[in-house]
Amino acid sequence: MKKSLSFAAVLALVAAVAAGMSAAAGARSSDTTITGAGSTFVSPLVQTWQQPVGGALGVTLNYNPIGSGGGIAAITNRTVDFGASDAPLSPDQFSACKGCLQIPWALAATAVLYNVSSVKNLLHMDGPTLAKIFSGEITKWNDPAIVKLNKGVSLPDTTMTTVHRSDGSGTTWNFTDYLSSVSPAWKSKYGVGTSVNWPAGTGGRGSAGVSAVVSQTNGSIGYADVAFALKNHLKYFAMKNSSGKFTTPGLRGILAAASSDQKPDANNALSIVNPPKKFANAYPISTFTYVIVPETSAKAPELKKFLFWAVTKGQTFGPKLLFQPIPKPVLVVAEKTIKKIHT
Amino acid sequence: MASIDTPVRPGRRSFTGRRLRPADALLQGVAAIAATSAAVLVGLIAYKLVRDAWPAISRYGIAFVAHDIWDPVANHYGAASFLFGTVLTSVFALAIAGPLAIAIALYLTELAPRALRGPVTALVETLAAIPSVVIGLWGILVLGPFLAHHVEPWLHSALGFIPLFGSPSTGPQSIFTAIVVLTIMILPIVASICRELFLSVPRELKEGALALGTTRWEMIRAVVFPYARGGIAAALILGFGRAIGEAIAVTQVVGGGTIIQANLFSGGDTLASKIAASYQGADSNIQVAALIYLGLILLVFSLVVNLLAQWVVRQFGRGQGAVSRASARVGATA
Repeated sequence: MKKSLSFAAVLALVAAVAAGMSAAAGARSSDTTITGAGSTFVSPLVQTWQQPVGGALGVTLNYNPIGSGGGIAAITNRTVDFGASDAPLSPDQFSACKGCLQIPWALAATAVLYNVSSVKNLLHMDGPTLAKIFSGEITKWNDPAIVKLNKGVSLPDTTMTTVHRSDGSGTTWNFTDYLSSVSPAWKSKYGVGTSVNWPAGTGGRGSAGVSAVVSQTNGSIGYADVAFALKNHLKYFAMKNSSGKFTTPGLRGILAAASSDQKPDANNALSIVNPPKKFANAYPISTFTYVIVPETSAKAPELKKFLFWAVTKGQTFGPKLLFQPIPKPVLVVAEKTIKKIHT
Repeated sequence: MASIDTPVRPGRRSFTGRRLRPADALLQGVAAIAATSAAVLVGLIAYKLVRDAWPAISRYGIAFVAHDIWDPVANHYGAASFLFGTVLTSVFALAIAGPLAIAIALYLTELAPRALRGPVTALVETLAAIPSVVIGLWGILVLGPFLAHHVEPWLHSALGFIPLFGSPSTGPQSIFTAIVVLTIMILPIVASICRELFLSVPRELKEGALALGTTRWEMIRAVVFPYARGGIAAALILGFGRAIGEAIAVTQVVGGGTIIQANLFSGGDTLASKIAASYQGADSNIQVAALIYLGLILLVFSLVVNLLAQWVVRQFGRGQGAVSRASARVGATA
């Protein structure tokens, strides 16, 4: 009895912490195996790559979708061969990562989900209203701001429940990046991050958690990567872009958004949320997602082979999952960066 | 690890003071190593927690415990809301699970028809084997909506004048859902320990009481409870410890949020669930340190609970004294 209680509690605590650490640590395995960890957003795409990569390149690909933050930590500690993140590395993270390269390797969008049982129509939404909803300033579905966007739809007097990710997530980064770009108030109060100080609403664990809560809550509104939303038959908004057009997160909308920024900066970061007016078909919550690799790697030949394949042949697996193949100018930059990897 | 203090039986002599035989020496050595390694492990964990939490400890100090903010963008962190949520969920879960578990154990040892005892005991213990992540998922998809649509409105209309039962939640996640999930998780632990305790009550005491003309309930109150109460207290504390430390299932149903409010039907967070939710995705060193600081607070909190528990057990279960008092009372009632 003496030790048992504190010991039991400690075990529970250790289990909680260790679950995080061991997942992040992964395993450094034999030479023909490439191990990666990070973004859950990109994981459906990476999973479809495992089989063909094994066949075409003779390389075994392991990927552990532990979240973008975890992926950055894992590659910084060199416990994996590559990390994956939806948020580009911050300058601090770059210097901590010591000689890391960041390569845009996939392109997709975040869908804004909703569940109002009495409404069958496809609903419209714009950025400033969305920011107010997630700030807790708009709390009813029949608020004038929403009614104005959805003329002719009878909206109920249902309370809105916002649902966000309770774990750190690249999807949250993309979503809050968008809210910050359309709402100065959001930017100054809550900002952009893989997790932020949500002023209202409830949190679900992972995209699965968010979708479970959204589907169980009448009047809810949440967000998830579009592949996930599609697979789970969740309803999502047509979002108003800068040109005033309402667009859904389809391939066309994502491609149009991607064409707004084709010049990666010195660190290969690209910003395509809320693109300017002239990209009339753009879906405004689109994002590139990145693979992060060390410039010097013991597995450089295999890693290069895999990454070249991923940004070329690998992209053809994308559209089925609503990942738009990366545009040519970005591909050129990506290939140039991949060439820098050496042993 | 020993789980429960049953009252020490008289007549058992300790090993010390006897000449050591090789087998005894081996036993003593192995047992000592096992006990020491548990203590050393706790020490190492505490050391590691303090070391890794140091950036947060030196930056926020002890005031960390009193701040109810968690803002990873501005890097402002505090533990108050999580500490509040941990206390709220585990205390309520214990308050519901305790009486239920004791009732289950009594039923299975004293009241149930013999044919039922085996299967029901097995089922109760199976409940303990369900993985937390499964209970959590069931919590969001089945239990949560049921509570939100039926139980919470009913409690609110009946007891709404108490701030704890405020306006019902709109979705499946709330502190209340977390409490019910925790109740389900600690119930089998407390129930099966209590069952063992009640079984260990000497038959002659029970039969003696009944022979003196007590009813079954009087016998339970006068013999079974006093005999087992030290153990019951320990079982409850063990369940409490489990409730404090449970992470995954709580993360799934608790909803999150750093606003401290009395309403059980609103969202909240606990220390363990915050660590589970945020550790993997933490993207700054100070956030990781702050999360580990939460872990340290959890460790200290459970240590305090443990010490309190030992004190309670000592107060309640004074060995055979309880039993002799019990027999005296049986005599009085008869």
